[in-house]
Amino acid sequence: MNQIIDISLLGLAGGYLLMIFPVAIILYLQVGMMKETAVAVLRMTVQLLFVGLYLQVVFKLNNPFLNLAWVAAMILVADLSILKGCRLKLKRFLLPMFTALVVGTVLPMIFFAGIILRLPGWFEAQYVIPLAGMILGNCLRADIIGLNSFYQSIHKNEKAYHQSLAYGAALTEAVNPFFRDALRSALAPTIASMATIGLVSLPGMMTGVILAGADPFTAIKYQIAIMIAIFSGTAITVFLAIRLTVANSFNAFGILHPDILRDS
Amino acid sequence: MISNDSETVVDLNRLHLYFDGQPVLKDLSLGVFHGDKVTLTGPSGSGKSTVLRCILGLVMPDSGTITILGEPVTRHNIWQKRRHIAYVAQEPDLGTGSVKEVIEIPFSYRANAGMRDNLARLPEIMERFNLPQPLLDKQITRLSGGEKQRIALSIAILLARPIVLLDEASSALDAENKQAVADYFKQAQNTTVLSVAHDSEWLGFATRVVDMKEIQKT
Repeated sequence: MNQIIDISLLGLAGGYLLMIFPVAIILYLQVGMMKETAVAVLRMTVQLLFVGLYLQVVFKLNNPFLNLAWVAAMILVADLSILKGCRLKLKRFLLPMFTALVVGTVLPMIFFAGIILRLPGWFEAQYVIPLAGMILGNCLRADIIGLNSFYQSIHKNEKAYHQSLAYGAALTEAVNPFFRDALRSALAPTIASMATIGLVSLPGMMTGVILAGADPFTAIKYQIAIMIAIFSGTAITVFLAIRLTVANSFNAFGILHPDILRDS
Repeated sequence: MISNDSETVVDLNRLHLYFDGQPVLKDLSLGVFHGDKVTLTGPSGSGKSTVLRCILGLVMPDSGTITILGEPVTRHNIWQKRRHIAYVAQEPDLGTGSVKEVIEIPFSYRANAGMRDNLARLPEIMERFNLPQPLLDKQITRLSGGEKQRIALSIAILLARPIVLLDEASSALDAENKQAVADYFKQAQNTTVLSVAHDSEWLGFATRVVDMKEIQKT
């Protein structure tokens, strides 16, 4: 297998020149996104620079505990950004959400590392960190969709929800229709991308494996395995996130705490 | 009115409720006796619907006690108490799905497991309220306000609860159907009905009409 060609710093600096086109278009149409664009490009550069440096160290040491700490840090940051993204109050949700993300990421990861890859060490940084990152990223997206959908639609359909309580429904029976809808909308994007993968675009991971010099067939095996891991991770996370937050989100009479939703 | 505690089915004692600092219920007390058909009247915004929602534990009064079938309602027994009550909301929102599915959902709850056989009476009840059978296959969201009200009333009746709470439950019905509903509850001697009404026709089956002003301190 041929090694991947490294990008020289000068080469990368040249890459930034590509920004000329979007900047020109933004200025020409007076879209007014210059500041956001500049901040975003700067943030991307700085954040990735740090991750790159850090991962170099992590990979070199390849210490299981350090790797675990890295994954835990990723999950914590994900946790916080979910709560920011879904307009829900923070403190009630922090612990259940953390648990949901940990289980949703770690369980498929154990499968991936132990059964699919049969890694020699139980926590090889080179494999575990990027794979866990991909699973986590998708769990995060699904979780935002799922939790938002669940709590917003109970709030929006308050009358129907109250009616089912009045009909004698237990809390689980009353929230179940909303639970089903939330899970459906959280899983739909992954199902859609599994159904069209390879036809519309080449997925990022497969591209990466091919660039790294691997055989395309190796690349698709990785891609299939990661898609399944992502799907199972998202299902686990959304299920647990809703299940675990329900206990704290309703009062003893089954009424949604009004302070769950941030602005409504 | 002679008060007989053993016969009091719903007893509201000195309820106070504030919403955004504004009083909604001011020292409200009301006793409803077994088999009573009580109708609450008062202008809109006078808290009539809120009284029903308090009884169901959907709204918590700031003070006062609610006693249902001889026991004060608490956070522990509210789920049990709801099994004795049927509630028809104003402009009922019954969720989504076909009418048939919507009718069957409450009977799928564990609390109503013993009531499933009552669904056999559905055709009879529907006929009584002038609802044609083909309606069952329609989507509930496509029904008119009056049709939805009669479906909600049918569910309430099939659940065979001793207490029925009606929140302007016949407001969208024509005179004939209003009469059909009134006739039904008039003959249901063992059913205690607390209703809320705006219009005079609904009062047809009431054994007692209570003005919101009478039962509160002003």
